[in-house]
Amino acid sequence: MSMDISPLLKMLVFPGGLTLIALGLLYEYIDRKLVARFQNRVGPRVLQPLADTIKLLAKEEVIPAGVIPLFFVSLPIIAMAGALTAGLYIPLAGFAPSFSLPGDLIITVFLLGLLTICIGLAGANTADRFSLLGATRTLTQLFSYEAPFLLALLCPAILADSWQISIVDTSVTGHVWLALPLFIGFFVAVIGLMGKLELAPFDAPEAESEIVAGALTEYSGRGLALFRLGKDVELVIGITLVSAFYLGGLSNPLEFLLKTLGLLVVVAALQALFARLRIDQVVGLWWRIGALLALLQLLIVVILKGVIL
Amino acid sequence: MSDVPAGLPKAWTKMLEGLKNWSRIYSPWAIHFNSGSCNGCDIEILATLTPRYDVERFGIKLQGSPRHADVLICTGPVTLQARDRLKRVYDQMPDPKFVIAVGSCATSGGVFQGCYNVVGGIDQVIPVNAFIPGCPPRPEAIIDGVVKLLGSLQQKKVAEKTG
Repeated sequence: MSMDISPLLKMLVFPGGLTLIALGLLYEYIDRKLVARFQNRVGPRVLQPLADTIKLLAKEEVIPAGVIPLFFVSLPIIAMAGALTAGLYIPLAGFAPSFSLPGDLIITVFLLGLLTICIGLAGANTADRFSLLGATRTLTQLFSYEAPFLLALLCPAILADSWQISIVDTSVTGHVWLALPLFIGFFVAVIGLMGKLELAPFDAPEAESEIVAGALTEYSGRGLALFRLGKDVELVIGITLVSAFYLGGLSNPLEFLLKTLGLLVVVAALQALFARLRIDQVVGLWWRIGALLALLQLLIVVILKGVIL
Repeated sequence: MSDVPAGLPKAWTKMLEGLKNWSRIYSPWAIHFNSGSCNGCDIEILATLTPRYDVERFGIKLQGSPRHADVLICTGPVTLQARDRLKRVYDQMPDPKFVIAVGSCATSGGVFQGCYNVVGGIDQVIPVNAFIPGCPPRPEAIIDGVVKLLGSLQQKKVAEKTG
C-alpha cells in the first residue's frame, strides 16, 4: 500500500485547512487589536479569537422553530468548505498554490462569494424578521461589490495574460508594484475587499444597533463558530489575493507577512476612520463610483497594453 | 458539562473540560436587558463598554442577539410587563448561560419593592449567578462582578479536579 498522501496533507494541514484557520484567527486578532489601538483602547488578548471559537463550538446549538433543519445545519458547513477550498488556489505564505488551473481566479472569487450567499440563505431560512432584513442586506451588498471587486482583480490578470493566480503572481514579481501605476484598481480592490468582508463602513448587514445581528441572529454555538471562522479565512484569502496582485507578488513567507500585514493595517485604519454607511448608500457608492472606476481602470489597462505591447 | 462523548480516556475528557472552561472564562459575551430600570444602571453599563474601561481586553463583547450571548446583564426591578419578556430572553440563550443582576433594584426590587406593578428582583423570575449592588454601581464594580463570576467558574474547575 503505497499512497501519495501529499495532496491530503496539502488540503488538511498546509497550506490549506489548519494553517488557513490558524492564520485566520491570527489575522482576526491583529485586525481587532489594531482597531482597538486606533480607538485608544488596549484591545483583545492574543488567544481571544481562538477562545471565542472554542467557546462557541462547546455551546448548545439551538435550532429555532420555523427553519428547515437540514439547511440550518448544513449552510455553515458549506460556507466553511467554500472558504477553505478557495484557500487552495492562492499563494498562501508565499508558496506556490497547492492546486492551480487556468481560470482559478474566477473560481476563488466565487468560492468566497459562496460564503456570503450561504450567510444570506441562512438568514432567509429563519423566520426571524431581523435575520430576514440582514439576509436582504447581505445579498444586496453582494450584488453591489462583487462586480467591481472582480473587475479590479482582472486588471493585473489582463496584464499577465492569464486568469491563473499563480501565473499572475509570478509575472508581477520583480516589477514595480502594480498598486502604483494601477492605483485606481488597487483602491477599488481594497475597498471591495472591505465590502466583501463586511467590515466597518460596509457593515450594514450586521448592524447590531439596528437589526440585532443581521442574518446570523438565530445562529448559536457551532453554526456561528463556523460562519465566524469562514469570515476569518476569507479575510486571509482576500488580503493575500490583493497583495499578490497589486503589491508586487508574494514569493517568500517574509514577503507574505510584510505585505499582508501592511495591507491589514490599511484596512484596520479605514475601519476605524469611517462610520457605517446605509445600505442604499453602499449600493449607490458601488454602482455609481466603484463600478465606473473599475471599468475606467480596465479601459486604461487594455488601451495601454494595446499601445505599448 | 457532560456533553463530552463517553468512552474517551479520562485524561482526554479532563483536558477537553479544561479547554472548554478556559474558553468560557476567556470569552464571555454579554447581552444587556432592562426590565424596568430608571436607566441609571444602564448608563453605567454603557460607560463600562466605552474605550475608557475597554472590556474587550477581558474578551467581554456586547452582543445584540440573545442567541450569541453567554452572560445576561439585567438592570432594574422586574415589572409585571417585563416578566414574560425577561423569561423569554433567558430561554432564548443557549446553554451554558449566566445571569448578572446589576444595581439595587435588580438585586431586591430596591425602592420599588412592594409596588403594585413590580414582581421584585431578577431572582424572582430567573436564576441569578451574581449580584452587583449599588445605585447605580460604578463601572469598576460591574467589571469586578463579572470577574468574580468568571473566578467562580475557575473555582468550580478546581473543585471538579479535587472532587
